[in-house]
Parts: sequence; C-alpha cells; structure tokens
Amino acid sequence: MVSPGQAAPIRPEILGLYRALLRAAREFRDYNVREYTKRRAIDGFRENQNLTDPESISSAYAEGKNQLAIAKRQAVVYSLYAPKVKSIMELENPADLIN
Amino acid sequence: MATFSAITSVIFAPSLEPSFSNNVIAERTSNLKMAIGGWRKNSFPSLKTNRFCVSCSAKPETVQKVCEIVRRQLALPAETELTSESKFSALGADSLDTVEIVMSLEEEFGIGVEEENSQNITTVQEAADLIEKLVEKKAA
Repeated sequence: MVSPGQAAPIRPEILGLYRALLRAAREFRDYNVREYTKRRAIDGFRENQNLTDPESISSAYAEGKNQLAIAKRQAVVYSLYAPKVKSIMELENPADLIN
Repeated sequence: MATFSAITSVIFAPSLEPSFSNNVIAERTSNLKMAIGGWRKNSFPSLKTNRFCVSCSAKPETVQKVCEIVRRQLALPAETELTSESKFSALGADSLDTVEIVMSLEEEFGIGVEEENSQNITTVQEAADLIEKLVEKKAA
C-alpha cells in the first residue's frame, strides 16, 4: 500500500491528520455519525500512539488518510438527505418535544 | 475595555478587602464601583501599571472557560491547581490531548484556529489570548 520512496510521516503531519478528521466529524448533521467519527478517530489514534516502526506508522497514516477521504465524501452525501428532525441528544430542552 | 481590565486587576491588590476573590465573575458593576473608590485611596501607581499589562491580555471569564474545558478534557480531579500559567504538558496532556483541547475551544467559542497557531499553544494563558484575538477579529 505504501510506496517505497516515501518517508514516515512526521509529528505535525500526523497531528494535522488528527485535526482534519475531527473537523470532518463536525460536518455531519446526524448526531450519531458525528459522535462515532469523533470517537473512532480518538480511539484509533490512541491505539496507535506508541508505534515506533516507520513502516507501521506509514501504513497507519495512509489508512487514516483513506478514512478522512471517506468521512468527507459521506458528509456531503448525508447532507443531501438530512432529516429535519434532530436527534433528542441535541435538543436543548427535551420537554419541547411534548408540545 | 482597557480601563475595565485595569479595574479588575485592582481586585488582586492585597491592600483591598479580602472578600474579592478571583472567582467573582458576577456582580461586575458592584465590583466596579467599589474598586474605583479603592484605587483612588491607594497611592502605588507603578504597581498598578504593572498589573494592568498582565491582565489586559485576556478577560478572566475567557481564562475561566478555558480552564473548565481543559479540566473536562483531561479529566483532572477537582483538587488539581489550574492557573493561567499552567502548561498542558505539565497537566499530563500529550500532543493528541492538546489537539482535542484546541478543537473543544474552537467549538465553545465558535472560532477557527489555524494549523500554525495551534502548534504554539502550550499554556492556558496563550490559549485565552489567541481566543480573544480571534473573537475580536470575528466581531470586526
């Protein structure tokens, strides 16, 4: 998957990918998908936090980039079919639902 | 705006009554009246101007909010001391935590932090200053 000429990503690049994933998560209108994307990004990066081998770092980084592309595409697709009703978790005052 | 900060800085002066603490954020107008009277009585203008420079960089409420968010993100116990000079790394935050903290601050204040700016944030005070600057720019 990783082309042989590329060096392992450096710290700022990795943090940039992390930030981009969290930003992409914010684009989703659906509460569940948004929270999942955020949680998965955090868990994924924490899990691979202590990698030292440059090859595994590169492959984890490449996978992260793929996931970022997926998240961005899906945010656009979801927004085309966004439901009007918000999830109850996002309501400021759930008592409004009853009225 | 500048005089406001000068007056809030006077609250920290030891010569005033000890009833004013850092955490008094409400009742701003009453503090104002009391503090103006106090300032005129005291005659250490050089001390006050030093404090003026330190506190006019970021409003106390901003620093409070930042502290709250940092505490929540890092799950710090209530006893941990958290001042505006606290470094994130000293509180046990690694670089991933710092990114998460900056994202939470972005969401809380409705601002957008650039890549280069976020790499320079290491203390609570720096974060508060950057937030103030961005909020001002947004309001302009």
